[in-house]
Amino acid sequence: MKTQQELMSVSRAAELIKAGKYLSIAGDEAALRQLPPGHWIGGTIPYFMAAGGGVVSREQVFVSVVSGFAAPPQLRFYDAGSLPQICRNAPDNGYSILIIPAFSATHAGFAQNAPNFEEMYMKPLIGWVAGVHLDDLGKVTPKVVLGSTGEFSESDAVVMDVPLPPEKFAQIDIVNLFRPGSGAAIRFENNGFSAGDCRIDGQAGNLADYLVDKQIDTRLPLVADYSGALINVSIRNIDRTARCVEFYAPVFAGIEYRVAAPVADYVAAFHNALPDGGTDITFSCNCILNFLHSQLEGKRTGEVTGPMTFGEIGYQLLNQTLVYLNVTE
Amino acid sequence: MKLEELLHHTLAIHAPWRIVRVRNDLGKNQIDIWVSREAQRSGWFFAARSAVDQGRESVWRHINIGNARCLVHAVIPSAAESADLQWLGEDDQPFTRAFARQIASMFMQGVSFASVCALLDLPVADLWKFKHRLDSGKSGLSGSGSTPDANSAQVPAAGDPIWEDLLSGSLQLDIRILSLKLLLTKLREQFAMISDGEVRALKAHELQRYFTRHEKMLGHELAQLVRN
Repeated sequence: MKTQQELMSVSRAAELIKAGKYLSIAGDEAALRQLPPGHWIGGTIPYFMAAGGGVVSREQVFVSVVSGFAAPPQLRFYDAGSLPQICRNAPDNGYSILIIPAFSATHAGFAQNAPNFEEMYMKPLIGWVAGVHLDDLGKVTPKVVLGSTGEFSESDAVVMDVPLPPEKFAQIDIVNLFRPGSGAAIRFENNGFSAGDCRIDGQAGNLADYLVDKQIDTRLPLVADYSGALINVSIRNIDRTARCVEFYAPVFAGIEYRVAAPVADYVAAFHNALPDGGTDITFSCNCILNFLHSQLEGKRTGEVTGPMTFGEIGYQLLNQTLVYLNVTE
Repeated sequence: MKLEELLHHTLAIHAPWRIVRVRNDLGKNQIDIWVSREAQRSGWFFAARSAVDQGRESVWRHINIGNARCLVHAVIPSAAESADLQWLGEDDQPFTRAFARQIASMFMQGVSFASVCALLDLPVADLWKFKHRLDSGKSGLSGSGSTPDANSAQVPAAGDPIWEDLLSGSLQLDIRILSLKLLLTKLREQFAMISDGEVRALKAHELQRYFTRHEKMLGHELAQLVRN
């Protein structure tokens, strides 16, 4: 399978659509609305890691060409009620690309419940959370697009199920530059997008107080070790009055978190952590927080490109993480 | 008998309750129905809806329609009204009363946990939740039946104690595959809270099924299993 991902003009993307290609497309809403109907799904975001480096563009779109499938991929919307069926409905051998609009009920439901979806982790599920230009926050809503009908949605998720021939299999992996720091072990009583009271090194405590008292850089996520996979939860805001911390993804009860150790040079660390050059990446995306905090505009992060998103999906919702999919035989 | 009446009869939905909406596109091989108290009308496909029930809608798995799953959506009526409704479930239960009775009767006939899942196209997780609710106040559900394990040259059988060793953490693996890292973390959390032997065996079965399904890409992990 050839990897075909690149930032391109709307007119070039339209040519690919008209040629009957199956595509996953990221772009600003105005750009996506110029595209013709066809075999594509899309989501809104104007931030990209292109071959030449980090880019903010409202005019261009980032296109991932899907090929090498055993049968035509299936494209559809899922609402919050039907999304738990996504893995069950996925092809037995293949993968699914999922795009969810940020701040929607579908986003919240997926974030909190994806690990318990039927057949989760049994079939590869990759994707991202659609967003907006940060200047437009609160003015326009993130959206996804079902290209076959041209319909945009700010509430439903859109999915492309890609069946693969029996000799091929898809594999998802992540690159997370953050490691647990040497600070306290933090545990929560409940799952949620916010937390205050918690256990800090086994003692009753409050996360907001802890972060303020220790003067912790809130650009650093909480990191948990999932049997060797380091999974981040990014900090969105500290409400000192309410003594509460809001997150970009939920924390889960029963999981131990630590504040990440600082990353001195993101670009250098990223180069060191990237998969080897022989890895044939079919789809990838990275986090807008990495783009912003590490000031990646104009900087290259190796050969791995893709949209810089409001959340990454590698089976479940991830934060500040590069996610990629490759197909091998 | 009209087809509409046949469906109401089959699903044990009787007046004044009626099926007001049907969808077959929410899940593969799945039919979703919405039940409400509503005036008689000619058909549910084309008539305008006029829901009269107020409150939060709940969803339960109901008895299958042929080989298709059936999910009932409804607002729970008052206790007096709902006492004998078999198409209804309790607020915190995954199944309708009729479906729960069907599952219980299968267990009483000696059908194993895994076989119930296979025969009814039932997610293991749902049956697991159901069983734990039963365990909190009712009798056990152990069955004497058995289900053949998936065959693989490399992957140990589901009954091999190595799976429970992995789930308990007494056996550690160096894992390279993201999905296995995430799955094993979830299953270990669940396993730590389970005391019932049969449910523990189900978790082992779930992990073994993952290995069987992904055997091609688990060479590094399977080599470690074999050494144990």
